[in-house]
Amino acid sequence: MRLVVARCSVDYTGRLAAHLPAADRLIMVKADGCVAIHADGGAYKPLNWMNAPNRLAELDGWWEITNPKGEKLVITLHEVHSDNTHELGDDPGLTKDGVEAHLQQLLAASPGAIEDGMVLVRREYPTGIGPVDLVCRDVQGRVVAIEVKRRGEIDGIEQLSRYIECLNLDSSLGQVRGMLVAQVIKPQAKALARSRGFHWVEIDYDALRGIDPGDLRLF
Amino acid sequence: MKFRCERDILADALVTASRAATSRTSTHPVLAGLRLDVSDDQLTLTGTDLELTIRLSVEVGMDTEGSAVVPARLVTDIVRALPAGTVTVETNSDDVIISAGRAQFAVRPFAVDDYPAQAGPDGEPVSIDAALLMSALRQVVRAASTDEARPVLTGVLISADEEGLWVVATDGYRLAVRNLGAAGLLTSGQSVLIPARALSELQRLLPAADHVSVRFGSRSAEFELGTTYLSTRLIDGDFPNYRNLLPSSHPNTLTIGREALLEALRRVRILAQDSRVVRLSLGGEVVELTVVAQDVGNASEAVDARYEGAEMVVGFNPDFLAAGADALDGDELTVELNDPGKPVVLRGVGDDDYLYLLMPVRV
Repeated sequence: MRLVVARCSVDYTGRLAAHLPAADRLIMVKADGCVAIHADGGAYKPLNWMNAPNRLAELDGWWEITNPKGEKLVITLHEVHSDNTHELGDDPGLTKDGVEAHLQQLLAASPGAIEDGMVLVRREYPTGIGPVDLVCRDVQGRVVAIEVKRRGEIDGIEQLSRYIECLNLDSSLGQVRGMLVAQVIKPQAKALARSRGFHWVEIDYDALRGIDPGDLRLF
Repeated sequence: MKFRCERDILADALVTASRAATSRTSTHPVLAGLRLDVSDDQLTLTGTDLELTIRLSVEVGMDTEGSAVVPARLVTDIVRALPAGTVTVETNSDDVIISAGRAQFAVRPFAVDDYPAQAGPDGEPVSIDAALLMSALRQVVRAASTDEARPVLTGVLISADEEGLWVVATDGYRLAVRNLGAAGLLTSGQSVLIPARALSELQRLLPAADHVSVRFGSRSAEFELGTTYLSTRLIDGDFPNYRNLLPSSHPNTLTIGREALLEALRRVRILAQDSRVVRLSLGGEVVELTVVAQDVGNASEAVDARYEGAEMVVGFNPDFLAAGADALDGDELTVELNDPGKPVVLRGVGDDDYLYLLMPVRV
């Protein structure tokens, strides 16, 4: 992570043209190549940014960042106050939000809610590309890798695919089934799951928690 | 591509098509765009999020035919902000240029090839009176759920049997049922489950049409209104067996003026923000509506009514009760009750085609 505090002006040309006049700002250059220009305000949002992949050219007094779409960010450095680089290392990633983590915990306690006869093998089953939320065995003894989400979208299926690919390298597990479990699953995710031979299950979080909603219901 | 169009016409068309474009574009950024196709002095605008598609055509002055996919929200905001008069839109090698008067914007488009191909209408269309469909949707769509955790309930069921065509929606707390008689959209025994969101968008389009051509496929429903086309994916799932929910008898009946009830509800629910319950005290020549809000205060109002049955106090979600009263036609409505824990049925007096079933709230 490179952090440059500088008096700079910024010009962006791409979908629209935008200009930031000269002022003191923080320029972040992340290890993945992402460049973001921050003011001392505006919460977490940068004033301007260029996601990776891009090409950063450091020229005399100005930087030019271009991406494959032809968008261009030009940072003119009028005065550099500090320029530091820190090695942050691998990030452990976001902790799942409360509901998602709780959902995983509840399902681990009641794997039968996912599918009759399902038995938990391990929560956070370790693989080389990160832990699988739940690994279970189904009623026929097959290993089932389960990705738990609040909302099941295509990204969840892609993630599950990577885990399955990784787990299938371990011949002792046999042919691993893939399953997406979520409170709600988008139609596109269901279609992609079907095309890859995965199963999906929608779970009622309140029912799993044993919560009476209080209001009288028709059904 | 180059064309000219009046600002207000172009802005209206952009707003309409943009309702189907999506801002959630993590997997398909191009879905944040609107496809513009110009040929034969016609501009066709298409917006889609792959579940809902809206396409419409407007007449323009065409200079050069062609296509572009422009950012929906950005271009809509630009056109709405332009001075009144003629707007010119043209593409060059990199940008879409939008100009009017002395204002000019250059916007980077999406790649046309990235935009998903749109299938044309399929199957034989069936025509239905737009006003009839609009009245049914006005009465029923409001009862559909917005909770995506129960996707089946986010849909509106359209089914046909010997008694005619039924339009039904429920969110688990209330149920709206409209009978359209022999509307002929489906044959007896057929049913489809259409996302309420799509039908809400259709409701916006219906006032401009006399008739709607409807096609139902195995996975989609398509509606054509003149030069405007809306298609939506159907929801896959089993709609609850709502007929079992309809009470077979009701020993207690309240008859009350619809407007008087709505007015009283509008006032007392000012205090219902926390408690979410309005109590109806039934038993005399008036109905007393009461709301008690802890640490805030209370409100009550008496409304003239006729009541036949046992004295009781029954509580309702005031928004759901008002939505039911508002959906009914006619000056008076009846509320058919069993006891305070059982669903009640709201009907318009003299109207047998529509009912609104509502579950009370514990008081």
